[in-house]
Amino acid sequence: MLSRPTTEQILLDCCRELMTNVLPSLTDATAQVSVIMVETVLRNTAVRAGHEVAWMREETAEIEDYARAVAEQAPGTAPLEAALAALAGAPRDSLHLDDVVETYCRAGNALSAALETAVAGGLAALVRRGEEILDVRSGHETEVMAGWSPTGR
Amino acid sequence: MTDEPQLQKFLDHVAAGRGGTVTMLRPISGGYSRLSALATVRWADGSEETFVLRSDPPPDTGVFDSDRDSEWRLLEAISGKLPIHTPTPRWYDPTGQHLGSKCFIVDFFNGRPLSDIAQDPGELPRAAQIFVDTVAEVHRTPLDVLPPALERPADWDSYIEDLVEHLGRLDRDIADSNPALHFVAAQLAAHRPPPVPLTFVHGDAQPANILVPDHGPVLMIDWEFARVGDPREDLGYYSHLPVPPNLYEADPAGFLARYRERTGLTEEQVNEDTVSYFYVLGMARLLGQMFEATDALARGQSRGVMATYMMNGISATTTAFVEVARQLAH
Repeated sequence: MLSRPTTEQILLDCCRELMTNVLPSLTDATAQVSVIMVETVLRNTAVRAGHEVAWMREETAEIEDYARAVAEQAPGTAPLEAALAALAGAPRDSLHLDDVVETYCRAGNALSAALETAVAGGLAALVRRGEEILDVRSGHETEVMAGWSPTGR
Repeated sequence: MTDEPQLQKFLDHVAAGRGGTVTMLRPISGGYSRLSALATVRWADGSEETFVLRSDPPPDTGVFDSDRDSEWRLLEAISGKLPIHTPTPRWYDPTGQHLGSKCFIVDFFNGRPLSDIAQDPGELPRAAQIFVDTVAEVHRTPLDVLPPALERPADWDSYIEDLVEHLGRLDRDIADSNPALHFVAAQLAAHRPPPVPLTFVHGDAQPANILVPDHGPVLMIDWEFARVGDPREDLGYYSHLPVPPNLYEADPAGFLARYRERTGLTEEQVNEDTVSYFYVLGMARLLGQMFEATDALARGQSRGVMATYMMNGISATTTAFVEVARQLAH
């Protein structure tokens, strides 16, 4: 397959085309807003395309360690154990995007159950560690936002 | 969107004896949810009236969804019953048979959006006062004027419990997972604020939805998310609204002091921490609708570019929710 320019570079080039050649020629306000939104979505997608597989795999590893640590501190928590079992059965060896996403979603469910368990159980150190994992996830989402700000009103 | 021939035909039907002629119809841009338009009609007696049309977007498009039947019933019920103005209802096409989609028509109100007034730095204090006073008036609305069909929660405790559970369930029926919501819901459940009486809540309280005339009471629009709930939901919802200038952020202490004075609630009930708590609960419904819209695309049903664009809103909102939860805990 052709690999250079990268997906990120191709999408950013589409953004440039929209903003320099398409948007200035539009007079309809609704169409202008649509183009601005599309350009934003493409910039978001460019960032995702550049990093999403690596980010999801890195986060999944951290989450699994964390969820197992919570499960050790709160044994017998059924939703957490079920989520960890589901994660163990995920297609984790594949790098195809759908498989990475499926594994990441199952890890997300394990993290949800682990956080609920840690907060409800007053496991302060594990709550803090869980917050750090959420911070990493949030940091990635912020990078994807690529400087987004609300428009349209 | 309704066109001129459709509106003309509808008026011929609902105001047959008045001989109305549509002389102008143009869309009003800017809303996130409904489609709005402005129309001018000249009647046979020579008088002229201007109306606002508010209609549903085409099915399965857009991000935010609400029930036009409920909004129309609410407008009819509260018209003339509040100290502030609400849109005067005129006609409703409940099936879309005449106007293309469910659409109601209300009188045009000649007022300036409070959001425009607030752009003048010298007017910020007055704008904040108008906003607080308007929201407080909504919250003082007697519940018995509201339509019987509008749900009345049994009590504050069960209402809050339901909202917190709802937050933790937002990702239950979608393809993606969102652990942040589970963390936030767990922290909200563990750190409840003091109760207050449930009141009428606007649900989208922001300066852009308040029109200020030269004289007399203001008019508040966009009642689609109105409900009976905790009045702090309106305060919380507005407190983080990223549309500058934010009248709450400009002076939270002054904003809340005036609100307490207008409503009689205590500082223990209404303070910056409780407002943050209700920012989360006040936004939860809309966040849920954003999830549903992006999930539709994940399932192969596009709702238009607004849905994917608002994924940024999901990220920004959940990040802010986590910060609130963290403050509650520490």
